[in-house]
Amino acid sequence: MSAWSRLNRGETTIDFVGKRKRWFTISAVLLLISIASFAISGLNLGLEFEGGLGLQSPNPAGADVAEVRSALEDVGVDDATIQMLDDGEAVRITTKELDTEILEVAVDAVVDVTGAERAEISIEAVGPTFGALIARRALIALAVFLGVVVLFISWRLEFKMALAGLAALLHDLLITVGVYSLTGFPVTPATLVAVLVILGYSLYDTVVVFDKVEELVEIEEQKTYSEIVNQAMNAVLSRSLATSLTSLLPVGSILFVGSFILGAPTLRDFALALFVGIAAGTYSSIFVAAPLLATWKEREEEWQDRAEWVSRRAKSGRR
Amino acid sequence: MTRRVVGLVVVLAVAWGGLAALIAAGMTPRLGLDLQGGTAVVLTAAEGTDPDLLAVSVEIMIQRIEGFGQVQEPDISISGDNTVVVQLPGVEDEQRAIEAVGQTGQLSFRPVLAAFPGIIGPLAGTNTPNVDNQTGLTIEDDIYAESAYLLHEGSFQPEVLELGAAELEGDDVADAVPIFDTSSAVWAVSLDLTGEGAVKFADMTGEAASYPPGDPRRQIAIVLDELVVSAPAVNPSVQPGVGITGGRALITVGSAEDAQKEAADLALILRYGSLPVEFEISAVQKVSGTLGADSLQAGIIAGLLGLALVAIVLMVIYRSLGLLAILGLTVFGSLLITLFGLLGEWQGLTLTLAGITGIIVSIGITTDSYIVYYERIKENLRSGMDIEEAVELGFVKAYRTILTADTVSLLAAGLLYALAVGAVKGFAIALGLATLLDIFIVRAYTRRAVSLLAETPLGSGGWFSIEGAAK
Repeated sequence: MSAWSRLNRGETTIDFVGKRKRWFTISAVLLLISIASFAISGLNLGLEFEGGLGLQSPNPAGADVAEVRSALEDVGVDDATIQMLDDGEAVRITTKELDTEILEVAVDAVVDVTGAERAEISIEAVGPTFGALIARRALIALAVFLGVVVLFISWRLEFKMALAGLAALLHDLLITVGVYSLTGFPVTPATLVAVLVILGYSLYDTVVVFDKVEELVEIEEQKTYSEIVNQAMNAVLSRSLATSLTSLLPVGSILFVGSFILGAPTLRDFALALFVGIAAGTYSSIFVAAPLLATWKEREEEWQDRAEWVSRRAKSGRR
Repeated sequence: MTRRVVGLVVVLAVAWGGLAALIAAGMTPRLGLDLQGGTAVVLTAAEGTDPDLLAVSVEIMIQRIEGFGQVQEPDISISGDNTVVVQLPGVEDEQRAIEAVGQTGQLSFRPVLAAFPGIIGPLAGTNTPNVDNQTGLTIEDDIYAESAYLLHEGSFQPEVLELGAAELEGDDVADAVPIFDTSSAVWAVSLDLTGEGAVKFADMTGEAASYPPGDPRRQIAIVLDELVVSAPAVNPSVQPGVGITGGRALITVGSAEDAQKEAADLALILRYGSLPVEFEISAVQKVSGTLGADSLQAGIIAGLLGLALVAIVLMVIYRSLGLLAILGLTVFGSLLITLFGLLGEWQGLTLTLAGITGIIVSIGITTDSYIVYYERIKENLRSGMDIEEAVELGFVKAYRTILTADTVSLLAAGLLYALAVGAVKGFAIALGLATLLDIFIVRAYTRRAVSLLAETPLGSGGWFSIEGAAK
């Protein structure tokens, strides 16, 4: 039988729990790279957090947002925010702090594209918009949410599942932060939203997977917890793959088509976080949360007794 | 069978018909600042203003806009040394919003010494300095002046009040919220004072309570700048010399038609009354979206391409069931756009990049609801159930899973909405609405559509059927 049809019929026999050392090693390496990158180069905070420069120029040539942006990108100033004022009569550009030489070149580029006189361009420092406030409030909301979600999952499924879910969530968040740190993409309030999305998705996915474990625990009375988790994972594998495929396709399409082909860097930053996060979310539900859960549950007396009983029975069966 | 067909037709008609009606009525979703632009107000403070005070003013402005309710996701930044640029997405009542943001407003509570109802003009005994002889009102008022004549535009007719020196100021107020008192059916503002404010307030109201009911000196004037915004009288039950203790008071506004708005406005003034810096509106400009039409278009094209790929994948894996899922996604999309259109019209809800992200994610989540259900059906068929049993029992179990997972999403949406601000709030609304829709569609559409499909030739037999997908 082909791998595809085994997967489709839920008849794969991958040992998710037994091979946990392998999965944990992969995750540990990814996490180490993320943390190291974060520690060494930190994050590139966007101007909503750090402030920058504001340029205002008249626009007699009638350039549009796209033209101004590409003129700036040509001289190496990407990630600028560009706005037309009063139906295109003037243009307002906000960028991060620039070196004097680059600023000179950027002003030249703006003059070229808008047709304004150099003297008509005003430049001033711009403080951060309330990115910090958004971030602070979002973090408070996040902390409350995590508390509530632990309670909910403990009530609906069980406490150790809530903890394993949280561990997987942290794993996904760290990896996303690592990707931002490695690529140097600017972190904006929009990024924050993307991170929240990842968080929601990661938990959602873990809940679906654990729901199956819980269901099998009630049916299978002659199996160890690890065996049950393995069986559940193999049963939901085709759902996990199908779901992550259908979730990643629109995001991936925005990432590749939207930003690399049609040229929209704002979308690129955003889609990257989502893509990495959703992929990590699917991976961690199966390869981090589930083996962790099995490891914790096997330590419980009830399940240790079950494991002993199963192995005794297996031996006597052989005799 | 007929009931299921009728139910299904109703759902499809509501979703598609609703969207068509919305487009016909021109009520497409309102786009946010980043997508469509809006109005920029440039506020300038005096040269050499303390940057810290400027920062505090910006925080207060943000809270004012949040309290204003009609505006979604503004953008406020300090520019240069003394300028604040406030950007608001297309607002219904633009003028009111601009005023609310820049209003300087020094808030104070002052005792009323005398009232001159209906009189605007020269007053007896106004030979005192600082009083305009034409209007009889104090000019260049100092809130600590022993006597000042200020205008009170009451709900019935304007009056001039003579006020004593201020005893409480804006920072004595801890909180103020509009409430509806159900027992007496009136709108009121519940006022909370800080520890220090509570002591001062008790002194002030204790003094006012020593005058007989009906005496203007029982009133406490709430003054914003040089205007008395409200002058409630102390309740007859308040003990003279004791006053209103505990730092909590109720200001009754009334039961008139506009009392609700009045209470809300008063609460806003009490909460964020004073900006520490005085601003002048130096420019009001129209601004374009920051994302630019090009990015938006690129995003839409890419999104549609992504959805087309999703449709192909669903058809390949789930065959005829995949087709139902695609139809269901159009129901989901139509209802969501309609909801955003209606909320934009009624509540000023705007759709930003963050909101659109919420929707993209929710497409993933609603697609997953189909996948969870379909996987159950396949599993049931392989364990030997007949097709109708597989579909019925599969729904019960899949629904349980879907509900659990959706609850997590709803919790996230609800808490983010309640606690976060700005872009995060926009995301929370989109996620919350979409998740509720998902639960609705699973019950109203998916269940009926799948059980009907199971009875047609597309249920069993052939590559494209449900049984075909399970093999």
